[in-house]
Amino acid sequence: MTDVRVYLCRCFSEVDRTVDLERIQERLLQNASVASSTIVDSLCLDSDIQRVAAEIKESGAERVVIAACSTMGRGDSVIEGLAEEGVDRFAIHLIDIREGCAWIHQDEPEGATFKAWNLIDMGVSLVAKKDRSDDVTIRVRPEVLIIGAGPAGLAAAVMVAKLGYTVHCLDRAAHPGGMLRFISRSYPNDEDAVLKLAPYLDEIHNNARIAFYPQARVETVTGFAGNFTVRFSSGGQERWIRPGAIIIATGAMVYLPHGLYRYGETQNIITQMELERRLQSESDSIQNAVFVQCVGARIPERPYCSTICCPASIKNAMRIVEKNPDARVSIVHRDIMMPGSILEDYYRRAMLQGVQFVRYRDDMLPAIKGYEQVRAVEVHDSITGTTRVLDADLVVLSTPLVPNPDNRYLADMLGLQCDRYGFFREIYPLHPLETRMEGIFICGSARWPVSSDQAIVQGEAAAMKVISLLGKGEVAASSFSRVPGQKFGHATVNPDRCTGCGNCVAVCPFDACTLQEIEEKYTYISRVNKMRCKACGNCVAVCLNGAMQVPEHNYRAVVEMIKRAF
Amino acid sequence: MVEETTVREPKILIFACRWCGLIGADGAGKKRMSLPANFRIIPVECAAFVETDAIIRALASGSDGVIVMGCHVGGCRFNDANHAAIKRLELFQVLLEATAIGKERLLISFGTAHEGHQFSDVIQNYTTVLRELPPIDPWISTLSVRR
Amino acid sequence: MREERSPMLEEVKRLAKTALQEQRVEGVLGLKKDVGNVIQPHIFERSDDLDALVLEPKWLFAKLAMKILRVSDTGYRLAVVCRGCDERAIVELVKRNQIAENSIMTIGIACGDAQAAACLCERPYPENIAAGEKKQGVDPFNDERVRQFLVGDTSERVARWLRVLRRCIKCYGCRNSCPICICEPCKLEDDTWVPKGVIPAEMMCFHLIRAFHLSDTCVACGACQDACPVGIPLLNLQLSMRRTLTEKFCYEAGIDRERKSPILRNFFDEEEKGRDIPDWVSSLE
Repeated sequence: MTDVRVYLCRCFSEVDRTVDLERIQERLLQNASVASSTIVDSLCLDSDIQRVAAEIKESGAERVVIAACSTMGRGDSVIEGLAEEGVDRFAIHLIDIREGCAWIHQDEPEGATFKAWNLIDMGVSLVAKKDRSDDVTIRVRPEVLIIGAGPAGLAAAVMVAKLGYTVHCLDRAAHPGGMLRFISRSYPNDEDAVLKLAPYLDEIHNNARIAFYPQARVETVTGFAGNFTVRFSSGGQERWIRPGAIIIATGAMVYLPHGLYRYGETQNIITQMELERRLQSESDSIQNAVFVQCVGARIPERPYCSTICCPASIKNAMRIVEKNPDARVSIVHRDIMMPGSILEDYYRRAMLQGVQFVRYRDDMLPAIKGYEQVRAVEVHDSITGTTRVLDADLVVLSTPLVPNPDNRYLADMLGLQCDRYGFFREIYPLHPLETRMEGIFICGSARWPVSSDQAIVQGEAAAMKVISLLGKGEVAASSFSRVPGQKFGHATVNPDRCTGCGNCVAVCPFDACTLQEIEEKYTYISRVNKMRCKACGNCVAVCLNGAMQVPEHNYRAVVEMIKRAF
Repeated sequence: MVEETTVREPKILIFACRWCGLIGADGAGKKRMSLPANFRIIPVECAAFVETDAIIRALASGSDGVIVMGCHVGGCRFNDANHAAIKRLELFQVLLEATAIGKERLLISFGTAHEGHQFSDVIQNYTTVLRELPPIDPWISTLSVRR
Repeated sequence: MREERSPMLEEVKRLAKTALQEQRVEGVLGLKKDVGNVIQPHIFERSDDLDALVLEPKWLFAKLAMKILRVSDTGYRLAVVCRGCDERAIVELVKRNQIAENSIMTIGIACGDAQAAACLCERPYPENIAAGEKKQGVDPFNDERVRQFLVGDTSERVARWLRVLRRCIKCYGCRNSCPICICEPCKLEDDTWVPKGVIPAEMMCFHLIRAFHLSDTCVACGACQDACPVGIPLLNLQLSMRRTLTEKFCYEAGIDRERKSPILRNFFDEEEKGRDIPDWVSSLE
């Protein structure tokens, strides 16, 4: 490759105040790969972009090196501008000699000039030796699979259907609605849960685009974003579908506190969910109720806060007082977590209605009084320092939401990871609801304990992310980038060198490599799934033979850069 | 090519990932911090991209030390790619130590250089460390590998 | 050492003959004492031939077995008479998809004290011992021949390493005899990585590249230094890394058929002792 055109930008003297560009031009004459070099005043004005693009196209240069500011300065916009004018983005390489050289070595002009020359030399080597990765384009199938029909799944299903796509919604129960079916009222506006679910259930049953499958269990999942193949059973029948995206909204489970606070041993000690059932039936009238918060939560085995138990207790406490104005209700807590102004208001209302709040310390837990039936709760009030005995004919234990034990089974099948607690793991925090598998999204309590309101919000958000994928119709693998813009490239295997050792398969963070048997003679060769590959380079680093390369950054380019660095 | 090389300080080759490493370098640049001109940066997509063989080649081609800059554990753009990278590089340091080349020749900077002043500190400190080490020349049996 | 009529040898011969007679394998790979007392590797395909089987000297068959299976007909099964390190090498080759697991069978023999001391071997026995007595291994780091290279004053160690590595004539004997080195073409023959025509071999490039490629798969068989014509103690390059893998990850190459090298996995799947992985939130400080 002997046809590299170099542009040296003075940046209106910001660069050449320190770096001697003319001396670099002389040195570049000795580099056989450089066809020509030009010093310009600037490259980022519109007039510059058009002029430079025209020059490049006319000269027929195959590669271009631009020595100017950093990508985060104006460098990116220069490349974008040239690309818009028709110059192949692949052929351009940007070298930073402003932020990376002139501006930080102002005291050392000799050293800065030498360094700038080295950097440009390295850039010329890279751009001369780089190759283009393959890309692949697929059609995205306009169907969505939603696993779970609680508030998150239902909200997602309704939104996806509204925007014109087919939805397959599965749930392992016989009816949709998730845990919301067993709640009497939902906070913060005390809405009847049945009424809240009604419009969603209406859509599920009447919208022709939504198919609901009860008593369902997912059996196998293969494929990639845009084209999954899913086999599942519903009510004993085997089915299979081919969705373009998958949303996981499987929710969570309530932790049952066996062994704590005499649950299951003494009567009238129940969980919050059991209280919801009681309140649904409307028959009971409770006189003295004590809620105990943080049961089995915020402890070493489970250090997280489950977010919904404080609002739920306050809601139910107010409900008890509403039905029986003589009732005496206390909430025994470690901290009351009520974020936001609406929930804060809710909290104050409860206090005004006479609900008592007693704070305990995690090293002095409350004690249950009474053997057959509960009689009272003894608690050490950490604010006043006194021990109080609260009469109770009902004790409600607020326990956290914990992940479904099925999560790991589903995660293995789909290629996802679970976090240390067992909830589905999201990929790096700047991509909410996304997982390490393209096209698979998580929302609701399957991701992290949330209220039904939040679950609905997340369900709709996941639906929007799915729509942004489906709406494209056709996608190129290179567009599934985790970073702004196109992917850097794709890992590529040289089949003549690959020994089938499997290092790449083990190391890939996205499970993009698989081994394929190519002959009967027990020979394997690695194959890269371009839809999953993100060009992180781990496979390249562990390939002992150099069979795996990312063509845009292949080893010949790297070694040449290293040789020319100093 | 051995010209009037104006690089008197120990020479450092840096493999910096585009996210944490280069952002730190850019930060130092924007603030016009004053740094010695003894280092060169090769940008990579992720620190996981860096082969140990490339580090060996760098040490054999005139660099006195190599820095690999990446993101902190848990903060990698490519899910957990940097976990394997850290394990690999630390095991490589064991080899450098076993052969008495010295584990100081490789600095693993994951998450410690993502701001301008941090980047500057890493360079300055490492330059000081490298100055104390014996020259690397005896390990390279010929100068023909440079150029 | 002459062991012609030892009980261990008789047991191995019996097992090998049975394997052939019961048609569990088509061939047995071992050492044969031929005409003129010449000892060489041999594929025994008839049980009568096995009378000439011997167990000494130390000979490693893993790579040979791999190559034999590659050129044999499909369905050809081989039994290999192997020592501890050999069995570990075979396990590593199976893990790396170079040998089909159902086409190889091991007849494991344990090494004696003298052999273990000569090899400075920590584990002078296979996991599946068919014959011989399991002996306590030795810790190579207790031996001065190893310590002088790996532990202690840096400048002295540099001088020692340079003195031995300067003898290298780049014969590739180490790479050829290592059972784990199976890449074709090999990176060490690529001019980009290791400059051609440079003798002694570019110390930094040739030896460090080779050593690190084996970092997590070396089974400490010693074939490399046994093969080296100028007596470079090449095994010392690997011992520190092997020790680190054991200490940090409880991993030793060649022991577990299922477990892949821990440095390929993330910290959740393969934890490192003493490393605390914070949630991304805490790392923002």
